[in-house]
Amino acid sequence: MSVERHPTEDLPAYALGALDESERETIAAHVEGCARCTRDLAQFEDALYEAAAVGAVDVQPPRDLRTRIVLRHRDARAPAATSWTARIAGLLVRPVPLAVPAVLALLLVVSFAIVGTNRQQIDTYEHALAGVADGRVVALAPTSANPDARAAVVIPNQGQPYLVVRLPAPPSGKTWEAWVLKPGPRAVAAGTSTAGDVFVLPLTAPLGAGDGVAITLEPSAGSPQPTTQPVLVVDRT
Amino acid sequence: MPDKADDVRLIERVADGDAEALGELYDRYGRVAFGVLYRMLPGPEAAEEVAQDAFHAVWRQARSYRADRGSVRTWLLAICRNAAIDWRRTRGKRSEREVTIDAAAELLSDARVEERVVSAMRAERVRAVVRELPDEQRQVLALAFWGGYSQSEIAARTNTPLGTVKSRVRLAMNKLRERLEEER
Repeated sequence: MSVERHPTEDLPAYALGALDESERETIAAHVEGCARCTRDLAQFEDALYEAAAVGAVDVQPPRDLRTRIVLRHRDARAPAATSWTARIAGLLVRPVPLAVPAVLALLLVVSFAIVGTNRQQIDTYEHALAGVADGRVVALAPTSANPDARAAVVIPNQGQPYLVVRLPAPPSGKTWEAWVLKPGPRAVAAGTSTAGDVFVLPLTAPLGAGDGVAITLEPSAGSPQPTTQPVLVVDRT
Repeated sequence: MPDKADDVRLIERVADGDAEALGELYDRYGRVAFGVLYRMLPGPEAAEEVAQDAFHAVWRQARSYRADRGSVRTWLLAICRNAAIDWRRTRGKRSEREVTIDAAAELLSDARVEERVVSAMRAERVRAVVRELPDEQRQVLALAFWGGYSQSEIAARTNTPLGTVKSRVRLAMNKLRERLEEER
């Protein structure tokens, strides 16, 4: 469509998202190169979404939603603290659980390739979470025991939930242990790992709607109940 | 009410990887975004899930925001709306994939003033402009916006000629734009 033939008739419906796909593509291509239609579209959309903001339901979001959103992104572009090659090589030699989607495994490999091109500022942990396309991600909050720790529960649309964790390797004779926090309250052991840096920890206990998740430091054989304060915890997933 | 220039600076910080800026953006628009999602989705759990997805999309797309294409509020709410429509199509149960005509039929039903996003006086003015629209024009706007229906779907579901639906959309959108733009 030439710039001279502005889609005046259809631009309002385009702004409303009410055109069929074939019509949308034509107008999108025109708007991309037309300053006048870009301006008109912005005015249509600003008016529409202002009306929508007034027409939306006034309801209080969950209190911890902001925290979860911020925590998920807090260290997204933090500079690397140690050798990335060593960190990611260590990650790759560990067996990736079958329950972890192929996309995540692929991302870890992609991250490795990126390191090879010297983009060392890119954080593997954030990449792993950013690549979760088919599930929900709930960040755990670090406690004063280790403020730099990071972890998030990934709840795939299909398959078992798992944790993506960024923690140093546990001291000798110790292990990181995951817990599913049930109402009661009751902690159910949900898997251990002696890995460090960025690693995946599948949850071996069922995660019900609204259950919490925590990670503690335990003796190497694991514990039936937590014996230390959590390093990471979320009350509700 | 947030300042537009401040909003743009916030988006620039988000694009630079500042998660606290994303939190500040949430402080400004999280509640109204959640309200939009709450209205479009079957329950608070779905709204919560999609809100997380939407703010993650904001994080990923912040660098592509262009101020000449609309306000930050518009951009963010459009991301939320698209995410909600996508959720209904891909993750909602069969019964949740479509919004009934009755549920989506009124642009301002359940409306409440969100003063942190729209001042009370401005919200009242927006309401008045919407109420001035003829019922049938308000209905097509609501079905398209909240229900995610295309013009041809609206025509089929309401047994109205497609040309009539198109005409109503055009008239309603032009009126909204004209009346709200002239008073900015």
